[in-house]
Amino acid sequence: MATDQLLDRLTPYIGRLCGPIALADGPDAAQEALIAVFRNLRQLKEPAALFGWARAIAVREAVRVARAASRDLPAELADVPAPGDPQLAADVHDVLERLSPHHRAVLVLRDLEGLDEHAVSALLGVPEPTVRTRLFRARRRFRKEWEG
Amino acid sequence: MNDDLRSDDARGSGWPVAELDPVRRLRVLATAAPGTSYGELVLDVPVEQVWTLATDLERQMPLLINDIRTFTITSTDAEGRPLEAVARSPLGMRARFDIVMGPGSCLMQSRFLIGGLAATAESHDTTRFGFFGGLRIPGVRLVDRLLHPFLHQGAVERFAAQFRS
Repeated sequence: MATDQLLDRLTPYIGRLCGPIALADGPDAAQEALIAVFRNLRQLKEPAALFGWARAIAVREAVRVARAASRDLPAELADVPAPGDPQLAADVHDVLERLSPHHRAVLVLRDLEGLDEHAVSALLGVPEPTVRTRLFRARRRFRKEWEG
Repeated sequence: MNDDLRSDDARGSGWPVAELDPVRRLRVLATAAPGTSYGELVLDVPVEQVWTLATDLERQMPLLINDIRTFTITSTDAEGRPLEAVARSPLGMRARFDIVMGPGSCLMQSRFLIGGLAATAESHDTTRFGFFGGLRIPGVRLVDRLLHPFLHQGAVERFAAQFRS
């Protein structure tokens, strides 16, 4: 069953995007993202672009679901570890809890997905210098606290 | 793209990963099948008990779908899970179904029909049960609910009634 197989292929990827952004509401966000993907699948002109297209939908839905669930805690990207940091694994969930869904989306796209600032800016509709500045400041502060 | 690599990174670094339980997965599949109807409810019964009854397809399919009089498993895998079945309508029409059985989920598809059921534990002794089905003919979206409302919330309520009797 083709739909079933496509769902199996997409679900882990969508789950990795929705989990860090929507946190406890991740399963609902993943469900809503996948529903949006399948409802709009006919709009996808180039099959090779499937994952990039689905990524934009997933991030949008994850932010929307997380905000609707009143988990939109105002915070700056103040304590965000850089990729590969030894404390990342232990702290990542606690760090994410203190961020707003929008900030978590920036972090996921930049550090988990490996997108550059230009791509993150385009996908989220956030000015590119803002993305760059926030990440730079966040990592510098984190490093300062870790070393201090 | 390097999705698999990213997957390993995500699992290894402690980033939370959202997972779809069988009922959420069924909701997505139902949405992807435009000619279908979907029903869902929570039962005060442990998931193992619900799933044992639900996967007795030869008894449950005629109960859930009014247009099926008999549903006969014709092929199983080495572990006894159904792979194929033949359904007969009250008028004697015959349809062969392919079946995909997974943990807490079951999908069935014939040339013209598609259906699925799923169960997920809500708590130790409650279960969320979902069921969808309908026609898989192109263009059926607009007319199906008018001409052929054979699946809806009533199907899952008939299923639930078995635990009360």
